[in-house]
Amino acid sequence: MDYLDAEKERRVTQLRKGILELAIMGSLYRQQHYGYSLVRVLTGDGSLLLKEGTVYPILTRLDKEGLVRSEWVESDQGPPRKYYSLTANGRKIFESLMPEFDQLVSLVKQSRNGAKSRQDQPLGERILVKREEKG
Amino acid sequence: MSHYPEVVEKIVQDYLQRVAIQLKRFPNSDQKELLKELGSHIYESYCAESDSEPVDRILEVLRKLGEPADVVAEKLHESLLSLKKLKKVPLSVLGGIVVGMFGLPLGFAGVAILLGGLGAMLGLVAAFFATATLLLVTGVTGMGLGLLRMLNPDLWDHLVAQGFIQFHGRIGQFFDLLSPATQGGILVFLFMAVAAAGLGMLWLSKRLLKGLRFLFDLMLDRAKSLFGRRRRRAFAGDPGWLKTPVSEAPSEEASISSSTSYSPIR
Repeated sequence: MDYLDAEKERRVTQLRKGILELAIMGSLYRQQHYGYSLVRVLTGDGSLLLKEGTVYPILTRLDKEGLVRSEWVESDQGPPRKYYSLTANGRKIFESLMPEFDQLVSLVKQSRNGAKSRQDQPLGERILVKREEKG
Repeated sequence: MSHYPEVVEKIVQDYLQRVAIQLKRFPNSDQKELLKELGSHIYESYCAESDSEPVDRILEVLRKLGEPADVVAEKLHESLLSLKKLKKVPLSVLGGIVVGMFGLPLGFAGVAILLGGLGAMLGLVAAFFATATLLLVTGVTGMGLGLLRMLNPDLWDHLVAQGFIQFHGRIGQFFDLLSPATQGGILVFLFMAVAAAGLGMLWLSKRLLKGLRFLFDLMLDRAKSLFGRRRRRAFAGDPGWLKTPVSEAPSEEASISSSTSYSPIR
């Protein structure tokens, strides 16, 4: 793996970590889950690759912050499962975070499109614009 | 009751044990909860991986779950964050005091109080170190004298006769009743306690200095952020840029043509 790949992987990991909490809240917004089923939802279509164990510390934190509630339920197929669901406070927080997230996505997209359109400009025009900026 | 074949059970237990080692610094209840949950996850995941040999299945499950260190790293990060949050409480209180001082209508009174406070703090530190050093020197000297009384009573008597060592009043009378060895022993014991007090103060000073440095950094940071905020408010044309919806933000062309555009996102 060369430097660029490693760098890309590091940044992708950071990005995923950033949105993982929101994705977890989003999944629990629709229905309650136990840890494994939540992981399956998050990784189901392969769009979110993650080390499955990293979900649990986040769930514990959300639980401690009162954004999710949890309860152990006995399972007839094996060990008990811990079910998680969003609390009323968690739902409110999630609803208020979603517009912020959409705004950030739009901002990134808009910045990228802006940079592209500027690159498409002829070189002469770009130099003129730069001179005007300096002047 | 085990849910796995023996060899798989051993692999699972080994993995959970490695997680438990990584979790040592966390409260017992947290450790048990996470281990129980990981155990449940491993079982569910193992059952879902049904198309290979048991050992391959469990290894695949654990690979997906992540290395114990990775799993706990997330939790460690979270605990550090909560530590940071705890630290912020006294920070906010102290910051409030500093801000309150600068908000006094007497203009520079806040600065004067701050400087006075710093001066007083430095004075306390100097007094603390002076006392610690004095106790240590006194203790060591006293212990030396005690040893001298025990090992060389003649020299002691000579020093008393010359007036270098003086015991007056009841203490002198009390000491006259004791043998030289006992006198020396008492002196060594008493001055050892004095020296220990001095050493204790020096040991405490590390913490004292850390605390003072923390306070100083805090005051400096708060003062910086306060002035920085005021300066940004003064220079930024539109302080509400962060709240501007993206869809309503000015286009790039517009910002280029205005040539003197100032973007706070730098």
